[in-house]
Amino acid sequence: MNSISALLVKVGKSVGGIVSILFQAGRDAVDTVIRNVIPFMAFISFIVGVILTTGVGDWIAKGIKGSASSLPGLLLISIVCAIPILSPLLGPGAVIAQIVGVLLGVEIGKGNIPAQYALPALFAINPQVGCDFIPVGLALGEAEPETVEIGVPAVLLSRLVTGPLSVVIAYVASFGLYSIKK
Amino acid sequence: MAATVTVNPPTGILGALATGAQDFIKVFNRGGQNLLGLMGGILPTLVVLLTAVNALIRIIGPERIENLGKAAARPGIIWYPVRYIILPFVAVFVLTNPMAYTMGRFLPERFKPAFYDSAVSFVHPILGIFPHANPGELFVYLGIATGVTELGLPLGDLAVRYLLVGLVVIFIRGVLTEFITARMMARSAKEA
Repeated sequence: MNSISALLVKVGKSVGGIVSILFQAGRDAVDTVIRNVIPFMAFISFIVGVILTTGVGDWIAKGIKGSASSLPGLLLISIVCAIPILSPLLGPGAVIAQIVGVLLGVEIGKGNIPAQYALPALFAINPQVGCDFIPVGLALGEAEPETVEIGVPAVLLSRLVTGPLSVVIAYVASFGLYSIKK
Repeated sequence: MAATVTVNPPTGILGALATGAQDFIKVFNRGGQNLLGLMGGILPTLVVLLTAVNALIRIIGPERIENLGKAAARPGIIWYPVRYIILPFVAVFVLTNPMAYTMGRFLPERFKPAFYDSAVSFVHPILGIFPHANPGELFVYLGIATGVTELGLPLGDLAVRYLLVGLVVIFIRGVLTEFITARMMARSAKEA
């Protein structure tokens, strides 16, 4: 009798533990979505509304079409984003990358930019990723102040090379992506 | 059955105002449509996925990956892929942005900038398949992906390639930044 009740207690406890973990996970998920995701969706939707209903869209399309639907154009975008003075300014919250991503997405959706350029474009708009956050990121890794002093320029300089390089790699990797069926 | 009635379009100042008002609200109607599409499309999936991954991470326990961090600290060429591919992937997947960078604390100082560079460059390529890692910056991927969806094309291929190219790029970034850091550290040591 004792062993049965011990078993019941054990089962009850572990089930309760798992349920509470799942419940807490759900609570965290909903919290993240409400705090971080939905506000951004609202903001992006507003921009999409403006682009699609006003003349702004055509104006942007003319500007981006040339540069975002060719390899040299994408390289140019990535080099500009990787310039060591600009990159920390373009970085915060990835807001610039997200807005440019949405602009390019709208143009891809309208057929102004071929769909296979989606992959290199994802890298072209993002060589500045995290450039604003280097000291904080290094501090999270418990780096010494001397490391931070060297690490900031080291990462920024490295991006100048790896930014355009990533676009080339992505361009090569995009062969065969969304190729038209013959 | 009512006969279809056509009215003259409004003219004059009132007409201009009416057209202006319609154009004004059109912007927000279109935006609202877009928002509803996002909330009805990706949001429910994201909530369920976030819940599942959060639970998984809680069950595994984030402290388990510390051993991997210690392994990645070893010198030698075979540990490069561990340090700049496996460790950033696992750190970003389990700890998510921005806590992933805390894994740098297991590495010696000379590897820290390179690890940060590598890890931070992976917080977007992972989004196509594992959006839980950085939900606040989802639109870097989703913005472009939405356009592809609008053409009626599937996203799987793009998401997988984005992740794989991302892994290649973070490896190159890690190696190059480690090299530059080493050169700069040597120079500043000489000056001191």
